[in-house]
Amino acid sequence: MTEGRSTMRHLLCALLILSIVIIGCGSKETADPQAVDQPPTDRLVVATVNYPLAYFADRLGGDLVEVVFPAPAGEDPVFWSPDTETIAEYQAADLILLNGAGYAKWVERTTLPASKMVDTSAAFADRYLEIEGTVTHSHGPEGEHEHQGWAFTTWLDPTLAIEHARAVAAALADALPDAPQAEIAERLAGLEADLTTLDERYAAAAQTIGDEPLLFSHPVYQYFIARYGLDGHQVHWEPDVEPDGTAWAELGHHLDHHDAAWMIWEGEPLDSTTVALAERGITSIVFDPCGNRPTEGSWLAVMQTNATHLERVAESIAAES
Amino acid sequence: MTDILFLAWRYLAHNRVKTAVLVGSIMLIVYLPVALRVLVTQSATELTARAEATPLLVGAKGSPLELALSSLYFSADTPELTTHAQATRIADTGYATAIPLYVRFTARTQPIVGTTLDYFDFRSLRLAEGRTIAMLGECVLGSRAAEKLEAGVGDSVVSSPESVFDIAGVYPLKMHVVGVLEPTFTADDEAVFVDLKTTWIIQGLVHGHQDLAAPEAAPGVLAREGDRIIANASVVQYTEITPDNIDTFHFHGSVDDYPISAVIAVPHDLRSGTILMGRYEAPDEPMQILKPTTVIDELLGTIFTVQNFVVAGMLLVGIAALATASLVFILSLRLRKREIETMARIGGSRLRVAGVLVTEIAVVIGMSVALAGVLTVLTARFAPAVVRVLLLQ
Repeated sequence: MTEGRSTMRHLLCALLILSIVIIGCGSKETADPQAVDQPPTDRLVVATVNYPLAYFADRLGGDLVEVVFPAPAGEDPVFWSPDTETIAEYQAADLILLNGAGYAKWVERTTLPASKMVDTSAAFADRYLEIEGTVTHSHGPEGEHEHQGWAFTTWLDPTLAIEHARAVAAALADALPDAPQAEIAERLAGLEADLTTLDERYAAAAQTIGDEPLLFSHPVYQYFIARYGLDGHQVHWEPDVEPDGTAWAELGHHLDHHDAAWMIWEGEPLDSTTVALAERGITSIVFDPCGNRPTEGSWLAVMQTNATHLERVAESIAAES
Repeated sequence: MTDILFLAWRYLAHNRVKTAVLVGSIMLIVYLPVALRVLVTQSATELTARAEATPLLVGAKGSPLELALSSLYFSADTPELTTHAQATRIADTGYATAIPLYVRFTARTQPIVGTTLDYFDFRSLRLAEGRTIAMLGECVLGSRAAEKLEAGVGDSVVSSPESVFDIAGVYPLKMHVVGVLEPTFTADDEAVFVDLKTTWIIQGLVHGHQDLAAPEAAPGVLAREGDRIIANASVVQYTEITPDNIDTFHFHGSVDDYPISAVIAVPHDLRSGTILMGRYEAPDEPMQILKPTTVIDELLGTIFTVQNFVVAGMLLVGIAALATASLVFILSLRLRKREIETMARIGGSRLRVAGVLVTEIAVVIGMSVALAGVLTVLTARFAPAVVRVLLLQ
């Protein structure tokens, strides 16, 4: 009898232990690891692909935003390629402002959050200017295709710069629904007024210049030339590189049918180049597109300096005539 | 009472094999329908959870089930393809965040999921190691994909050709693993995540090749006519994206014309979702928009119908088994006639003898139900893991 009771007791104990084990083996919560996305900051982090957009975002957003434009000084942002750490900075931003028109090809080759990207020129994509000399090629089963390219220095036309600014303001307003919208609108109005004044100055100078032939040192002035109807011809010279014999020969060829007395440069050319051009009756002036952060002053200040330089050309042409 | 219990227990203990068979049979009769219901309910919960976490799906008109299964579980055949313009269309409405998906290619057995970074935020995917995708040709592996492909951060995985007979197809792309995700016990664990553009490279729509204007490409150039260069198929196209050749990768035409399999639309609020759904109501609309929960509920409805048939079958089997068990007890009484008479002769009243026999039956049924209960608790406890594994197979 004792043996039987002992067996029953053992069975009951086994069932009890099994029940405790089952109840006890709950899943443990895992420690909170590093998330893919970054922790939010107080201010809206806005990353841009060039300095004009950084300037617009900074001016329109004020204290509400922290603008990130990581392209190194001296690099042309259009041809610059960020490393993976810098791409991570863009990925962590709350808003990524793109120039559009194929500016910054690196964007196509990287992974950025689509919902945070805003193409600030989308509204005037039908006004993009095509780059001359598009190469068409064909190979393999897919057949012929073009490597089409758009001129990308859109902001050199102040009316397009206004469109960029409006797109930036709209993106900021969307991203900051709780921010005082009137403040952003007021800043936009101020920026639009400055850009309109700039446009008027350019237009006045361009009217005086009329159909006087001009040379541009780099193929980045398409929108500027188109906006003001200038008789401009673009070559491909670098301000810090001495032109070689071929470059001078090509220039001579251009001058045969485009007798320009002015050459407009992206940056200050070498003294030797300035002198050599002067010997050919060509005066050099600087009109900085300001795609990257200038060493001093703001984007607007650089554009105003450009206007001053253009006005000098106009005054000189007016004096000669 | 103790003596009745003792006698009953001693009888059952003495006839261990018979008792074990009876307990096992009755336990299975009770356990199987219950366990089936637990497993099916758990499966439904798992399937529904993924569907509920995905507000809306947009894809080309076709099978809604294929669209849902491909987009949620990366299984089933690739649905009818649409273009990236549909993702742009949704984003442009301002009613929802559009997350495009291109689920078509595989790396061995693992699905390659082309998407944007928004997908990682949307599904709350977290990195166990490494970083997220940053460049073309990079990939992040789900936890089980990493195990199955035996790859980790710093390794490479290669896309598989869609067909072994596709000798004119594009070359497989070697992709660099830059991160591995934490397990989520969802279909995401099985996936190889890449940028949408990388899937277009796998398909050969975006490509990098020698500069045809460069002297090195001269052997492959058939003709040059002004700005037009015609090359033959010997032009070297890159099958791995490296810092040296990444700049040669280029698109032809608008991104909006490139293919995708679906768009996950995440409406900003209920009203936005309703308005967005209304946009796809036109009879000539070539796209379909669906709530994954609706599709999965229909699928579950079918599963539950099948389950009811199975349970009904089990009940019939159970009744037959119980009848057999009753027969065993009745026959057992006949076999124990002398034993019962002995108990009566030594002073056991009819009531107490009957008590012993009833107690034996009660103990057998009690033990069967207790064991079935323990197994059910175990099933319920481990069902989520079991179902997840089964669903992911």
